[in-house]
This record gives sequence, structure tokens and C-alpha cells, in this order.
Amino acid sequence: MRNLFNFIIRNSHWLLAALLVAFSFYLVFTHNSYQRSVYLSSANNISGWFFSVSKDIGSFFHLKKNNQLLLEKTAELEKEILALKDRIDLLTVSDSLEMNAFVKDSASLPQFDFIPAEVVNLSFAGANNFITLNKGAKHGIKPDMGVISTQGVVGVVSNVSRNLSVVIPVINPKFRLSARLKNSENYGSVSWDGTNIGEVQLGELPKHEAFHQGDTVLTSFSRIFPRNLIIGFVSSEGHSRDDNFNTFNIRLSTNFYTLQDVLVINDTYHEEQKILEETLQR
Amino acid sequence: MKLNYIYEIVLFVLLVLLQTLLLNRISLFGVATPVLYVYFLLKLPVGRTPYSVILIAFLMGLIIDIFLNTPGMNAAAITIVAAFRKNIIGLFFEEEGHDEYIPGMNMDAGPFVRFTIFMVVLHITLLFFIESFTLFNLKNTLLRIVTSSVVTIPLILALDSLMFKRKAGEQ
Repeated sequence: MRNLFNFIIRNSHWLLAALLVAFSFYLVFTHNSYQRSVYLSSANNISGWFFSVSKDIGSFFHLKKNNQLLLEKTAELEKEILALKDRIDLLTVSDSLEMNAFVKDSASLPQFDFIPAEVVNLSFAGANNFITLNKGAKHGIKPDMGVISTQGVVGVVSNVSRNLSVVIPVINPKFRLSARLKNSENYGSVSWDGTNIGEVQLGELPKHEAFHQGDTVLTSFSRIFPRNLIIGFVSSEGHSRDDNFNTFNIRLSTNFYTLQDVLVINDTYHEEQKILEETLQR
Repeated sequence: MKLNYIYEIVLFVLLVLLQTLLLNRISLFGVATPVLYVYFLLKLPVGRTPYSVILIAFLMGLIIDIFLNTPGMNAAAITIVAAFRKNIIGLFFEEEGHDEYIPGMNMDAGPFVRFTIFMVVLHITLLFFIESFTLFNLKNTLLRIVTSSVVTIPLILALDSLMFKRKAGEQ
């Protein structure tokens, strides 16, 4: 018995290590971008504060204020463009004399609103890439909102705390987005194979979809992004997992290395659409 | 003795900040990322009890995980390395009884270089394989392990040599 105790005492550090490692693996495997706690992410107050400070120092060299002004201007214009596009669609489709009853009230809110935000931290080392933004629940940001830059699609908000939010970017293996080539109505799915930060894969395209270098890739139907936002440009033919579909490599239009300012998309119809679509699933 | 602890705390904080604010934003050629914080385990006295080494390593890994949004990954890797630290020290450093001996380029360059290479390769291998649970791509993982080790090891050796130089100047 004493020998047993001695053995346990002598080797108890292995036990401690095993427990801690088991706990770590528990965290690894229960780690889910939608359920995970805010406290264990870079959106918590302490790490967020550190990132904000380090970002502030960096921002000095990037003319922070000018950027901010430009970004707000962009958000405003972007909103206006979408509102105008809606009007144009309505007016060109219908003869205004006959269809007057169906023309939308011009005072109605545009569907998409844009919240400008700044990147305070980003990680590209390895598979679990993420971006932390300096806007949170306080500024109206909610999980599942789309994030774009002036160059193109960036990612989707996954975690939100009071002042900060974490974004899963296109270059994360968990990210999926429906997309299409500009001159075609067939859509495929954008994902990232984890090899190159500047390149994603557009898969599940019909076989007859021909490869053209430089084709523009746009967002398709999605609950998160408006239609026809630029994702990137076709750069080369990729490896397809099976013979029924084509896969193309896409050069991203967003440069993640220099990403500083982004716009978070607030889709005012999001809740409504979600509830409506869920009634079908019951 | 007290000075030792202050030095360790400062090193701990510096390495965590360096790793999270700077090094993890580096991705040389899209594959190589320096993983420097294992340096902390190299610079603890060889006689430090496994208990405290394991606990402090786990804490360090967890803090880095929180900063990097990778719950558990860094913590698991560094805790395993910490658990085997005593055994690994036995492989490279012979004499017993020098519990306060801190390995370094200034003490015994040969064993320290071998010790560093072993610890870094072990840590990076564990870390990247744990990471690849979410994205399995063997060729890419191996490439990242090799390139990251090649970047990290000289960085640690250079850092250690520099710190040693400054100390010699003060004396």
C-alpha cells in the first residue's frame, strides 16, 4: 500500500499534466464558432484592450482619422447605391402608368445598412484565422452579420461582446459562401483549403462551367451578404473532389495582409426572412 | 532568489505579448510562423519541479489561446512539452544537483542548442497536429512544422545570445 502511495506521489505530476491536457482537448473539441463563450476569445475585455492599445499605436502611422471619415462616407454612399438600385429595378421592370400601385414607398428603409468598423487584431498563422473588430453589441453588431471591405467580401461575424466582435474570414476552413461567376447563373460554394491566404476555392460548379482566367466571382443567394458583391477573380483550375463538379481557384479581391477598415452589413430583413423560412421547416 | 521570480514573470509577459501581438501575424511564404513562447520553458532552472512547470506552462498556453481564439490548442501542446521537460533535460544535461542551473548560450552552447532544437520541434509538431484536427492536410501540416521550426530555432538562439551579451556588458 505504501509503495502504491509512493508511486502515485512520485508520478502525480503526470496525472496533473494528463488532467490539464484532457481539459485542453475538451476545449479544442467543443470549440464551435457559434456557441463558444466570449470569455475565451479575443473579444473579451482584457485581450481586447491589449489589442486596441497595440492597434492605436499602429493606427498613428495609418492616418486613422482620415480613414475613419472616408469609411463613413463609403458606408453612406454604399447605402445610397443600394437604395437607388432598388428604385431602378422597380422602375425599369414596371410601366409606371399601369403598375403604380406596386411601386414601393420611396420613404421605406433600404434593406442594407452599413456599420463602419476597424480591425484591431487579426491572425493568419495556421488554420484558425480570425479578425477582431472594434465594434460590438453596443454599436448594433450581431452574430451572423456579413463583413465587407471596400475591396470585397471579408467574412461573417461569429462572436460579439459589448465593445468588440470576432469575424470568421473567408480564409477560415469553417467559412462557406454561395457564389457565382459574373456571366453565369450557376452557383457554387466558396471555401478555403488552408494553403494560401490570397486564394480560396470555388467548388461544386457544374461541369460545363468553362474556365476563364480572370472571371469575376460574385456573391449569390445568401442570408448574410447582398447579391453581386465581389469575392475575387478566377486564377486557375483547382482539384475537384469528384468528377461531377468543377473547382476553380479564386484570387481574393480583399487583401487580408493590409486590411484595416471594414463595413459590417446590417440586413434589416434578416430576422424577418429567418423566421419566415423557419416556418417551412416545421 | 526573488530576483529570479521577477525575471521569470517579465519573461512570461514579454513572450505572451510578443507571440500574440507580433509573431502570430507573421506567415512567411504563407507557411512559416515563429512559435517563440516555448523559450520560457527553456529558461527555467533545470531543477524546477514538474508540478510548477506544468501549471505555469498550461496557464501560458491558455492565455495565448484566449488571445488567438484557439481554445485549448496552445495549452495542450505546451502542457505536454512541460510534462516531458524533466526527461528531456536528462537527455542533454548530465550533472545532477545543480538545481538552479539555467540553460543558455552563455553556459553551455552545445547542449543548449540541442535542447532548444528538441523542445521547439516537439512543441511545434504537437501544436500543428492538434491544430490540424480542424483542417487535415498532411503535406501542408508537415511543411508548416518544418518551416516554422527552421524559423523559430535561430530566433531563440539569437535572442538568447543577445540577452547574454547585454548581461556581460553590465558586469
